[in-house]
Amino acid sequence: MSIERPSIEVRNLVKKFGSFTALNGIDLDVYPGEVHALLGDNGAGKSTLIKALSGIHPPTSGEIKVDGVIVHFQSPREASDAGIGTVYQDLALNPLASVTRNFFLGREIKKGLGPFGLLQMKEMNAITIAEMKKIGIHISNPDQPVGTMSGGQRQTLAIARAIYFGAKILILDEPTSALGQKQQMEVLKTIRTVQKLGNIAIILITHNEIHAQLIADRFTFLSLGEVIGRGIAQELEGDEIKKLMAGGAELGDLKAELAA
Amino acid sequence: MVLFFYPKNKMSSEISTTVKRNETDRHKKKNWFQILLARPEIGPFGVMLLLFGMLGYFSIPEGQFSINPFTGEGFNALGIRNNFRVIAQLGIVALGAGMLIISGEFDLSIGSMAGFAAGCMAMILKWGFAVIIPYPSFADGFTIEGYRLFEIQSVSPLTAILITLCLTLSFGWFQGWFIVKSGISSFIVTLGGLFFLRGLTEVSYRAFNKKVDQTAGSTTVTDLPDIKNIIEVPGLGEMEREAAKVLPNDQILKILKTAPEATLVKITDQLTYINQKVAVTKTMMQEEKMLQTLQRSLDNAIRSGNEAMQKMLQAKIDAGIDVQAVQAKAVTDLDLAKAYIDTLPTARPVAEFFGGNILQPVFDWLYFTVDWNVNNFGNQFAPGLYACVMIWLIMALFCYIVLSKTQAGNWIYSTGGNLSAARANGVPTNRVKISLFVFTAFCATMFAACQVFEVNTADAAKGNLKELEAIAAAVIGGVVLTGGFGTILGILLGTVIFGIAKEAFFYIPGIDGSFYRVFLGAVLVSAALTNENIRKRIVGSA
Repeated sequence: MSIERPSIEVRNLVKKFGSFTALNGIDLDVYPGEVHALLGDNGAGKSTLIKALSGIHPPTSGEIKVDGVIVHFQSPREASDAGIGTVYQDLALNPLASVTRNFFLGREIKKGLGPFGLLQMKEMNAITIAEMKKIGIHISNPDQPVGTMSGGQRQTLAIARAIYFGAKILILDEPTSALGQKQQMEVLKTIRTVQKLGNIAIILITHNEIHAQLIADRFTFLSLGEVIGRGIAQELEGDEIKKLMAGGAELGDLKAELAA
Repeated sequence: MVLFFYPKNKMSSEISTTVKRNETDRHKKKNWFQILLARPEIGPFGVMLLLFGMLGYFSIPEGQFSINPFTGEGFNALGIRNNFRVIAQLGIVALGAGMLIISGEFDLSIGSMAGFAAGCMAMILKWGFAVIIPYPSFADGFTIEGYRLFEIQSVSPLTAILITLCLTLSFGWFQGWFIVKSGISSFIVTLGGLFFLRGLTEVSYRAFNKKVDQTAGSTTVTDLPDIKNIIEVPGLGEMEREAAKVLPNDQILKILKTAPEATLVKITDQLTYINQKVAVTKTMMQEEKMLQTLQRSLDNAIRSGNEAMQKMLQAKIDAGIDVQAVQAKAVTDLDLAKAYIDTLPTARPVAEFFGGNILQPVFDWLYFTVDWNVNNFGNQFAPGLYACVMIWLIMALFCYIVLSKTQAGNWIYSTGGNLSAARANGVPTNRVKISLFVFTAFCATMFAACQVFEVNTADAAKGNLKELEAIAAAVIGGVVLTGGFGTILGILLGTVIFGIAKEAFFYIPGIDGSFYRVFLGAVLVSAALTNENIRKRIVGSA
């Protein structure tokens, strides 16, 4: 836990879609080298919050500061230029193309004129292997199509790509959902490796409180567009997390209800 | 009583604490042969070899036997020239269609676009080009008058091509722009383009291509000059090669006087060789004819039982025929002059580039030195390959480099492979698609240019069905219809298969020529099935 300046500070963020208030005054601080778990039930506003942070939906009001500077993102490009890398559930990968081609998709290293510049395949392959290795996955063949990789490896690829292209704040949208047990562990290990790099703030959106407990340093719970609880890992009990995740309802109540 | 003693390690569960295998170990390293077999082009390559074999063996003339397929008629010089023409013409449009499919879109208007471009070019070459602004006039009742903004009377081949390109490329751009902006499927929009352009072409032909006393014009332009063969004749100015050859004798001989000494020596040598060759061939043909007559008489004698006659004829046949050798024709100055006119360079290099011949020195060498490129009468069989083969190969090389080696190629693959992913990573997917629609229009125009300058005619049906053939060739070559997968090498192979199938089936004895379509249909569907399985193997193994 550090006492330095947060990488990203969110103050009183409001997002309205017409008459519907998706986010109603959110505060959030995420520090470098720290995994901040964003928990909440479906419809709690997690997705809207990360979309506001990554420039897809500009907020209605409120303030976002990146490294102490107020930002107003109008497009995903601006957000990624400011150092916010978002790894979505669908990972934005082309399964038919090779690892390297995906790693550098849209930001290829080339020599020559405009889009007809020649790709520097060797250099790109070397960087891809090195960057993947940095966060703990060894790939032997960078020409292998992404479609043939495991789900965990694909997550790693997307994370490595975001970090290589300058992400200081990494937003991971449900990285462990839709994965097998072993691959989930693989992804958690990757997140831990990134955490240890020390300079990257990670926002982890998840449904799985076990994963959150394993890896997160700080928690923020959302329900119906508001923060209903926050805390650091050591202070939170398992049941409390469960309760907050369900939006404050007692699990015990449900037990009784189901038993009746 | 029997006691079973289980081995100890079977009783306790096995737990290995150190995992030695990691994920990448599951991908076994392949040797070169397995790598070759795993390439998606291997299927089409096999089919192509099969067709080449068929073409070779079935075209070996009756009564001859050979295990070498290259002795077949399908592989003689003229066969190669004609087959490669068919392949190249399809290949030019298949490249555009294939690239577009890889990016996830379709263009059904390629064939109509080619027809439109051919008509456009032919009409501009014939009547010139003018920009006319129509306006309503009330001076003499209501009429539509035209204001002639500017006019070019005699248009050079290059200008005709450039004007046509302006029209076709902007139509291609418009189709692409409309598709990405409206979100309507490219299938429908370009189907509209197919009807629109074909109709527009026919309308234009009928409107412009009519004589004064006719009400409706013809949909063909046939009387274009042989532009690629316009030459600068010394002292007489520009004229068609054939026209120069039928000039009065004194004029032709005057032209000969301008020929450089070295050229004359070379032409004389060549003509002497040709005349010799023709004479030898003629002699052989006469021998064969007499032998056949004797053989027939012998057969008759055997049938009628005339033994004396039989013996006499048999002796004659055994002794061999000795006909008087045909004398080689002497090389006259007139022959020399005509041969010299043939060597004069074209005055319209652009027309020559699209409609002329390539590799003439090689085909000359094959005739004069290798003694292979020879027809039944002893003359040179094929003058070279059609220029469209070169244009096809240049374009293929360009497409290969763009698709496999450049950033644009990566963008094309990702636009077709996962559109939203490409967009999320900052790939200008709309621009990629629009550019490729422009490129298919370019391919169609190149196809048209080759046709117009090759045969000096154009008609409204040009390019009919080419769009479907191009798509079929791309799919046979391993391009996946949903996009993101395929190679230029594959498209080339698919094109060769599609182009050669007709010829290969043509030579099969006792079989209807249209069976090649049956064959192609089956190959197309099995190729699509194979492609889909490859795609699933890659995407579905997570």
